[in-house]
Amino acid sequence: MWDYITERNSQLLYQSYQHLSLVIQCVLLATVIAVGLAVVVHRNPRIASLAGAVSAVGLTIPSFALLGLMIPVAGIGTATSVVAVTFYACLPILRNAVVGLAGVDSTLIESARGMGMGAVRTLFRIELPLAWPVILAGVRVSAQMSMGIAAIAAYVLGPGLGSFIFTGLTQIGGKNALNSALVGTIGVVLLALILDAMLLLVGRLTTSRGIRA
Amino acid sequence: MTALDPGPDLKTQENLADAKAAAAGLASSRARRPSWGLLIGQPLFVAVVIGAWAIWRSRAELDSIEQRQLDWKLVGQLTVEHLKLTVVATIIVLLVAVPLGIMLTRPRARRAAPVVVAIANAGQAAPVIGLIVLLAIWLGFGFWTAILALCLYAILPVLRNTIVGLQGVDRTLVEAGRGMGMSSVSVLGRIELPLAVPVIMAGIRTALVLVVGTATLATFIDAGGLGSLITTGIRLLRYPVLISGAVLVAALALLIDWAGRVLEEVTRPRGLG
Amino acid sequence: MPESEPEVSGVDIELTDVVKRYPGQKKPAVEGLSLHIPAGEIVMFVGPSGCGKTTSLKMINRLIEPTSGSIRIGGEDVSRSDDDDLRRRIGYVIQGGSLFPHMTVTQNIALVPGLLGWDKRRTAERVDELLELVGLDPNRYRGRYPRELSGGQQQRVGVARGLAADPPVILMDEPFGAVDPITRQRLQDELLSIQEELRKTIVCVTHDFDEAVKLGDRILILTEGANIAQYDTPEAILANPADRFVADFVGAGAALKQLTLSRVSEIELGQPTVAEIGDPAPDVLRAAKAAGDDSVVVLDGRRRPVDWMWTVDLSDVDNVPAPHEDTDLVTIDRRATLNDALDTMLMSSHGSAVVTGRRDEYLGVVDFQAVLARIQDGNGQPEAEVAQ
Repeated sequence: MWDYITERNSQLLYQSYQHLSLVIQCVLLATVIAVGLAVVVHRNPRIASLAGAVSAVGLTIPSFALLGLMIPVAGIGTATSVVAVTFYACLPILRNAVVGLAGVDSTLIESARGMGMGAVRTLFRIELPLAWPVILAGVRVSAQMSMGIAAIAAYVLGPGLGSFIFTGLTQIGGKNALNSALVGTIGVVLLALILDAMLLLVGRLTTSRGIRA
Repeated sequence: MTALDPGPDLKTQENLADAKAAAAGLASSRARRPSWGLLIGQPLFVAVVIGAWAIWRSRAELDSIEQRQLDWKLVGQLTVEHLKLTVVATIIVLLVAVPLGIMLTRPRARRAAPVVVAIANAGQAAPVIGLIVLLAIWLGFGFWTAILALCLYAILPVLRNTIVGLQGVDRTLVEAGRGMGMSSVSVLGRIELPLAVPVIMAGIRTALVLVVGTATLATFIDAGGLGSLITTGIRLLRYPVLISGAVLVAALALLIDWAGRVLEEVTRPRGLG
Repeated sequence: MPESEPEVSGVDIELTDVVKRYPGQKKPAVEGLSLHIPAGEIVMFVGPSGCGKTTSLKMINRLIEPTSGSIRIGGEDVSRSDDDDLRRRIGYVIQGGSLFPHMTVTQNIALVPGLLGWDKRRTAERVDELLELVGLDPNRYRGRYPRELSGGQQQRVGVARGLAADPPVILMDEPFGAVDPITRQRLQDELLSIQEELRKTIVCVTHDFDEAVKLGDRILILTEGANIAQYDTPEAILANPADRFVADFVGAGAALKQLTLSRVSEIELGQPTVAEIGDPAPDVLRAAKAAGDDSVVVLDGRRRPVDWMWTVDLSDVDNVPAPHEDTDLVTIDRRATLNDALDTMLMSSHGSAVVTGRRDEYLGVVDFQAVLARIQDGNGQPEAEVAQ
């Protein structure tokens, strides 16, 4: 096993980097999209609950099915992975952003408006900072999920550690099948832990100390 | 945290390995009102999608490979395989996780609960495709290997919700039952379990949805299911087959999710809000 | 059913040197309690929180197992019988009713009869009978779930459930703690009238001494470690508190009685600035300011109070004016009870009352602080007696 790793040192590092980079970029994109959507819909309770339902139903669609659906549109390769991962990553963030924004005490918003803050300023100075811990929890869920989906996306030649797993699958019986699959699987787990630690750190740095749990 | 009520979702999400289960849209282990829009709209939507697919299938001009792959009988057979994977895995999860959860909430074993939940967490932290491939390398291809992978993957939500649901039962009610002369078995069967049913059922629905989605990957280890339409479509570059597979799997998942919802409503004891 | 013949249907309970020691705690929660509870009586356990009263109660139906000592119900040692069996023969009522939310009212009440193997018809009849007894119309409430009942109704069903199998002994743990004061009072009255019919042996834990006085045939006052401070009838305890601890406990209740026992004349009256009609306003204002008063009591030529003016109303007049026709000055006589004084104060805009003596002569004013001080004084008296 150790020989296997040292032999493929550079490939392993490169694919890890690709995997992490894919997930981070998709989650970032998803955060922007989902929070933007939530900001638009959260004032209207009916549309907001619709957003919640879409998020719930969207997550029931198997990721492999979505990957399949994307191939005719985006072709085989990175583009399909990006679209699929971003789509899933949006859903938990959207749900949490809606919940978080709805949870901001309305008297606080009122007093901000009463102090002469405009709607946009209230959003950025009051509502989003207060909803941030909840949104960030959604981001962590997204990141964790995206790690696994990105691994599956390797089947359609997406970048990342999933390729090791599928190599293991195709070489079953061969001497390196187990090594390959193990390295891929454990690598994804490690990356997920690293990313989550990073997000925790981001959370500590970006959450007001007044509302930190 | 005065301005925010992060709600039950947050608590479940604290633990990262729970994340996937939570993310399946089902973190709400708490009682909540049924959403009638979903309850009625979801199966209608699925019916429309499947109807549209069926009309397309009977009219479209397909080449011989596509025709063979999308043969009505074959599609039916794959659907049955997929359902079999889903149902068998869920039942096994139920049979293991619920009794285990009950055991872990009894006074004698209470201290072991965090350890067991941590192990279940670990099963979920790994990428599921890796889990499937590793098990296949170890145990060989086939139906039961797939079942084992699905079970390992889906045991956590049921186990956790069983524990949480039972722990959530008001202690004074348990004591009232004991004080009235009910045996501990009788208190478990007549008070604790009925009151925990909504939470346990939420866990079961989570498991169902996880399993039906993950069963798509069973095709990689020759365990059948609708996922094989997708892999065949990709391998042979036959988009009609690929898209048919994806659409049918998505429809099936939505249907199973709906069935889970209905099950939740039906099993919910009357008298609980 | 013993409804028609109000005989004693309860049996006596005998606790002998009962000890409860929890592992890892130095002092026992109950350090040797011996007690006889006569058949057909209501005995109230009171004491500060953590005194072991609830522990003592729960040892009677073995929800908590005593470390040592014996408990006999109707002469039978409870440790001899199977604990589930024992509990089916003892009614148990706890705070808020603790109804099972997933069972209907009927299912809740029928639970113990079901465990005892009663047949369906007998159980159904019993449920209706009990609902009538606790004042709920069976036809209306039989099929309801607990959440469809008010707090008071839930509590009534809780009592009915405790009575279901017609047990000779009923244990109650803060039974009326979770309802509002008015409902609580009504439930207490109902329990008393039920008890008049049934004459069960009822053991009831409460933290409310007034409730204990109202309901109890006997009151057991416990100190830490469930040591008996006094065990007697309410009358005896009120008249003769055994020690300072009991007096303190009784005190809170006795203090309120002071309100109807004490007179305004026993209180030191306040002396605000006074003025006579026609006095020059600037002089009066100066005097009021020196005394720090913002109002002035206005007297007529015979020193009878006629008005109670705010100083601000004096600042734009030359002399103290005669009162308007519709002045709302209410006075109280010095022989009035403190209760009356409180009543008057609550109506007055000054938050205090003007007190008059013989021939309506002005004496001073009485305010809340003075009444409060008097109540607290009165509270001290029994303690002083005890100390002698």
